[in-house]
Amino acid sequence: MKITKRAKRDAKYLFRVCLVKGLLDESRVRQVAQHLAASGERNSPSILAHFLRLVKLDCARHTAAIESATPLPPDLRAVIQNGLEHRYGPGLTIIFAHSPELIGGIRIQVGSDVYDGSVRAGLEALEKSF
Amino acid sequence: MADLLKEIEAQIAGAKATTAKQNVGVIREIGDGVAKIEGLNDAMLNEMIDLGKGVTGLALNLDETEVGVVILGDYTKLKEGDEVRTTGKLLQVPVGKGLLGRVVNILGEPVDGKGPIKSDKAYPAEKTAPGIIRRRSVSQPVQTGIMPIDAMIPIGRGQRELIIGDRATGKTTICIDTIISQARLNKAAEVAGDKDYRPLYCIYVAIGQKQSTIARVIAVLEEAGAMPYTIIVASPASDSAANQYLVPFAGAAMGEWFMDNGMDALIVYDDLTKQAVAYRQVSLLLKRPSGREAFPGDVFYLHSRLLERAARVGEKYGNGSLTAMPIIETQSGDVSAYIPTNVISITDGQIFLETDLFYQGVRPAINVGISVSRVGSAAQVKAMKQVAGKLKGELAQFRELAAFAQFGSDLDAKTQAQIDRGKRIMEIFKQAQYNPIPVEIQVVVIWTVQNGYVDQVPVARVKEFQNKLTEYFTTRKGQLLAKIGREKALSDELKAELKVAADDFKQTWQ
Repeated sequence: MKITKRAKRDAKYLFRVCLVKGLLDESRVRQVAQHLAASGERNSPSILAHFLRLVKLDCARHTAAIESATPLPPDLRAVIQNGLEHRYGPGLTIIFAHSPELIGGIRIQVGSDVYDGSVRAGLEALEKSF
Repeated sequence: MADLLKEIEAQIAGAKATTAKQNVGVIREIGDGVAKIEGLNDAMLNEMIDLGKGVTGLALNLDETEVGVVILGDYTKLKEGDEVRTTGKLLQVPVGKGLLGRVVNILGEPVDGKGPIKSDKAYPAEKTAPGIIRRRSVSQPVQTGIMPIDAMIPIGRGQRELIIGDRATGKTTICIDTIISQARLNKAAEVAGDKDYRPLYCIYVAIGQKQSTIARVIAVLEEAGAMPYTIIVASPASDSAANQYLVPFAGAAMGEWFMDNGMDALIVYDDLTKQAVAYRQVSLLLKRPSGREAFPGDVFYLHSRLLERAARVGEKYGNGSLTAMPIIETQSGDVSAYIPTNVISITDGQIFLETDLFYQGVRPAINVGISVSRVGSAAQVKAMKQVAGKLKGELAQFRELAAFAQFGSDLDAKTQAQIDRGKRIMEIFKQAQYNPIPVEIQVVVIWTVQNGYVDQVPVARVKEFQNKLTEYFTTRKGQLLAKIGREKALSDELKAELKVAADDFKQTWQ
């Protein structure tokens, strides 16, 4: 689907409307999506497609994926959560995952920022240095 | 072995786990050497992006939701969804004297099969040009060895002189001749142990040329013994458009190293038309808005920021220089097209080559009337200035009178003499390719023409006269030539010696 400049501009405007104190409001997003889907206008699908993309990117920016080789104890989880909220502000969705392929350590990804302290990353860096 | 184990144990004990922050993204779209990447929020303009699988890219478009990257390698290895990361580095190329005599690609990697390059320094390909304070005016000559150029369109060290003309008019030949001339001068100074002579190193940047053409240039330079003073940076036609657009910047970085270290360098961009076309291709793929002739709006800035890097820096900053000889190819002699007018306005002069002159047998096919050097005359050798000062005017008069004489009207003796002299000067300026003439010989030849020694020689035999004269002076008057070369000016005493020698030669000439 070709998304025109105008559709992009409209989607961006609607996206801004959905922000409340800098955070995306779920109910507003739902309303906008339902309204666009039901409107039947020629441009609606492309606006909706770009709107969806902006929402996805915002979700990724406000999601912290924490992977560890072994399940983390609750106190350590709380420390990490506090640390991330201190750095990235409130409204962060935190997802803990168990990834044995990391061998050891933790890997945290928030948006496009990655803090990789896993053994696997260390080994990969060592391999590159050779 | 026990020592080794202890050493490793000590290293483990002292090891600190550090976690560096990385910025990653995901390839959303890829094709035609360009990738759109989602993420990479911290990417900088012109930053190198690690695309994985040993491929790197350059961030050229920083949009709100994505980053446009040109890929500097085999993009067929990459696919949508691959993770990429920023490197925090700009595009860098190795620099230094270790590159002399080598043929390298845009990343400074050897492509001549002569093994690795010894270089421990790297310069960013994109660098801000020296500022006003660091610069000084052009005052030292670049001896091209091409008589019409050295006599009438002199080039100085640190100047930017454009070579412009249609296809197959001898643009590359002029540059190759200049490189060969520098190599001969450098070698002669080395042999003579002349410590005052500042060698001029050359960089030849081949942009979008056929591999066979590049191979031919290398062969010519090798045969002339010019390779030890030359670096060839090649991005042939088979390279990606991104490589062709970036290769002049890589060459400029290599040249800047010489300038920054108090040495002189000459860089030939062959040619910037192809670079502009490659940049247009990259820009269109990145969906940048296009302007005149579909070139992007910043194509002027592309060339101006490249050519501004050619400079002569002051004593305080090392006294080095970087001379640029960009080449532009015109279509049917149209110099009013977009790219030619841009580069003409950026450079400090231009040498026009014409197809008509080329086929009339005037080679190099330089149109002296519209060729100009805006700053080079300050750097011209005094002896040359003394003998060739009036040449340009005389030739202009000759052309005007010759056009008038075509009507077949009777001419007075003075006009006829001017036309005859002009014809002979035109003959003198014809020169075989890859055969640069030393400046002392040029001075002697032009002096003999200006003093009427050639007036009685039939036009058809002027070249023969010149060759014999050159032979006579090099074999029998070597000391006089050396004196001209040393003093760089024609004193009354030298003029008298020249007169005696020319009279002597005239008597033997039949």
